[in-house]
Amino acid sequence: MTRTVALFVTCLVDLMRPRIGFAAIRALEAAGCEVVVPEGQTCCGQPALNSGDRDHAVALAKQTIEALEPYEAVVVPSGSCAGTIRCHYPELFEHDAVWLPRAQAVAGKTFEVMAYLDEVCGWRPEGVALDAKATYHDSCSGLRELGIKAQPRRLLKGIDGLHFAPLKGEETCCGFGGTFCVKYPAISNAIVGEKADAIDATGADLLLAGDLGCLMNMAGKLNRKGSKVRAFHAIELIAGMGDGPAIGEEA
Amino acid sequence: MSGAVDTATFKERADMALADRILKVAVERTAGTAETKRAVAVDAFPDFEAARDRAAAIKDHVVAHLGAYLEEFEANAIAAGAKVHWASTADEACRIVIDICKAAGAKSVARSKSMLGEEIGLPHALAEAGIGRVETDLAEHIIQLADERPSHIIWPAMHKTREQVSALFKAKHRSPHEEETIAAMAESARRELRTQMLGADVGISGANFLIADTGAICTVTNEGNAELSLVPPRVHIVTAGIEKIVPSMPHAIHMLRMLARSATGAALTQYTTFYTGPKRAGDRDGPEEMHIVLVDNGRTKMREEGLAEMLRCIRCGACMNHCVVFRQIGGHAYGGTYPGPMGAVLTPVFDGLKQSRDLASACTLNGKCQEVCPVRIPLPTLLKGWREKSWREGLEPTSMRWGLGLWAWVARRPALYRLGTGVAVRAMQMLGKKGWIDRLPLAGGWTRYRDMPKPAPQTFMEQYRKERRQ
Amino acid sequence: MSARDAILSRLKGVAPDKAEAEALLVAPEQPMVDERALEAEFLARLALPSVSASHDAIETIADLPAAVARYLEAQGETPTLCLPPDPRLNGCDWSAFTLHDAAAPDEVAALAIARRGIAETGSLVFETAPCAPMLPNFLALHHIVLLPVRDIVAHLEAAPLTGAQPRAHYWITGVSGTTDIEGTYVRGAHGPRFLHVILLRAPVA
Repeated sequence: MTRTVALFVTCLVDLMRPRIGFAAIRALEAAGCEVVVPEGQTCCGQPALNSGDRDHAVALAKQTIEALEPYEAVVVPSGSCAGTIRCHYPELFEHDAVWLPRAQAVAGKTFEVMAYLDEVCGWRPEGVALDAKATYHDSCSGLRELGIKAQPRRLLKGIDGLHFAPLKGEETCCGFGGTFCVKYPAISNAIVGEKADAIDATGADLLLAGDLGCLMNMAGKLNRKGSKVRAFHAIELIAGMGDGPAIGEEA
Repeated sequence: MSGAVDTATFKERADMALADRILKVAVERTAGTAETKRAVAVDAFPDFEAARDRAAAIKDHVVAHLGAYLEEFEANAIAAGAKVHWASTADEACRIVIDICKAAGAKSVARSKSMLGEEIGLPHALAEAGIGRVETDLAEHIIQLADERPSHIIWPAMHKTREQVSALFKAKHRSPHEEETIAAMAESARRELRTQMLGADVGISGANFLIADTGAICTVTNEGNAELSLVPPRVHIVTAGIEKIVPSMPHAIHMLRMLARSATGAALTQYTTFYTGPKRAGDRDGPEEMHIVLVDNGRTKMREEGLAEMLRCIRCGACMNHCVVFRQIGGHAYGGTYPGPMGAVLTPVFDGLKQSRDLASACTLNGKCQEVCPVRIPLPTLLKGWREKSWREGLEPTSMRWGLGLWAWVARRPALYRLGTGVAVRAMQMLGKKGWIDRLPLAGGWTRYRDMPKPAPQTFMEQYRKERRQ
Repeated sequence: MSARDAILSRLKGVAPDKAEAEALLVAPEQPMVDERALEAEFLARLALPSVSASHDAIETIADLPAAVARYLEAQGETPTLCLPPDPRLNGCDWSAFTLHDAAAPDEVAALAIARRGIAETGSLVFETAPCAPMLPNFLALHHIVLLPVRDIVAHLEAAPLTGAQPRAHYWITGVSGTTDIEGTYVRGAHGPRFLHVILLRAPVA
């Protein structure tokens, strides 16, 4: 049975690192899904929601719901954007009798991409090999809102030659926090500085995570301090695209 | 806290804290130890998650029926011989305490650490009234000698190093320690405080719990300073927030199990005492008068205005011990009585949102605080509530409002958005070298400290469309 | 309007359903305790670093003075004791001790009888009464506690008294301690630095 899934690309992947979106498509197709990219999508509205700008958050949520509701399932290569749709859309429309059921319906069929591949498709990468030592950072929204923890690790285990170095404080926030990192850059820097030190201390070649925002924050700090650790979204490796340029490397 | 810090903005205070490496070490030592010990205690407990559900349910039940439970508590406390007072505001509460002290002819009071006392400004009110105050909790004693404010609700002096404490004690104690060890310093405080506690006219405490069906008030300490402050004086005054009620002792027992484990990782505090009224006929010790001041100070308003869940808080400090922001800036930078995530929710209630709007924003919404909260307070949700209110009331900076408004306006027009993002990646392409951008206009906060990866030459949507056409 | 009325008028609502409050107590989550080995469980908690109490055991209450003397001697203290006016202690021969019934600010040792021992935490449960002052138990450097073995119970739920409450009901779980300076644990912050529990095997008269 072929599943038709809609890919919600996320604004950050669209703008900064399209190959994460293509990696998601590749892995989903390998898992037997037919992937469509709905035209009406832009951003889930999280920046507005987290800034207290409820009106814009509601408007963008409605636009996103309309774009995604025709599909059987919605897959997102980001724990925090998937968390916004799954957990916060229904909250936004708590007192809206018309939109609440629509928000709940979309929320109920929206998945973070690695959780979807692992839990819904029961899929594992086949014939993927990468000789490297990686460490994994659990991005907060995915971890705490969606329970993303074991799924990426189970998928990554299917990659031949990839082995892991545990990251001290793997569940500790990297200090990204969306608009937080630009509103309070000095605090954010102190947090990501410690994170970068912990990543370096693992001796890993690769830093993996499931959220581009956190990855850009950590990779940007690692690069500034002259670290050799290269950063990827985990789905890139899972889709067999771990041999390409890491974040911040020219193609 | 010095005047300079008081008038500084949140960002200035945070910058000062970030520059203070000694502070960072001090915070890390205490909060880091607390984090580790809590994890061990929680793992050893049979079903901590179910216990958190129960604790939250107990508090929600109380908050839903708060009026009735307060009346029940009041009746039982009066029956046990205590006098019960009510205060709507911080000033009113302080006035009641000062009046009781004056009526008792008090020259000195011994105070056992109470965050509510700090919240209502009791130390300051006592000073204004000319009443001598001895803080008996070791950390509060350090804070008093240094003329500062607490930086943590469990370890008020966590920002002080041993060297700083040693210097303070040597300057202020009558027979200070000679050996430079923490044990010797604690011994110096013991010598200094003991006679002062025994000579106090009034003992003042907070309450960790108010037991509705007995009229008892409960204090917990590890030092035993509460008992030594409250048993010898002739008068015992309790100031307690009205949310401290639990229906009965078994309810209190459940909450105590949660409190100790969440705060310090212990199974129980060393001293847990339930005081029901004053000294009885024939008793050898105990106060002749017991006064209980029930303080609202914004709590009924919190209950009415969407912050009822915050009234579950049992002041364990786990949220701040596990907060990445607190761990970097410590407690004083928050500028209120209560620091960390719980403080960021509470401070706007006491100080006004205009003064404290930064606190809700200076949070990454990572959810760790909620994960460790023994009463499952949805702290990130409550902080987002303050952000929303701040936005609604126009307190957010204009640049932020315009920037976000413009972005949202474009994001609601997918065709225009595609055009805009296409232009944006091309512009960023030009700024980058070797894959990274080290200075980015409008994102100086980012590139001051870290590099920005250069985006791909085309957006996902552009590339995807091109592929589909082929 | 008085503050009382102002507060209560904003908290109007249905009276709490006692059954609802009771339901919140059904099958509470409790630390595991082997009910068949309460004494061992209790002693194990007493020995934890966070409690750090020592213990001894006697057969009858007549053995108490000797046990106290043994402890004080081992600690290098003179046989001086603050003794509560508890009639249960009348049968003991205290002739070897210098006794006083009110605690001095620098009291060396005080004796008390616990009503319960709690295996869950290693806590000792006390109440104030004319024959049971509270202050000596906090002033003394050495707090010596007599605890009948049969009064050890599994969980804290068995600690409180039902009905009319004494002025103070208190649980002591180890020695006075503080972590207020750099999180470093120090014993004997304000209260006792040593806690010594003497288990009594025979029932107290």
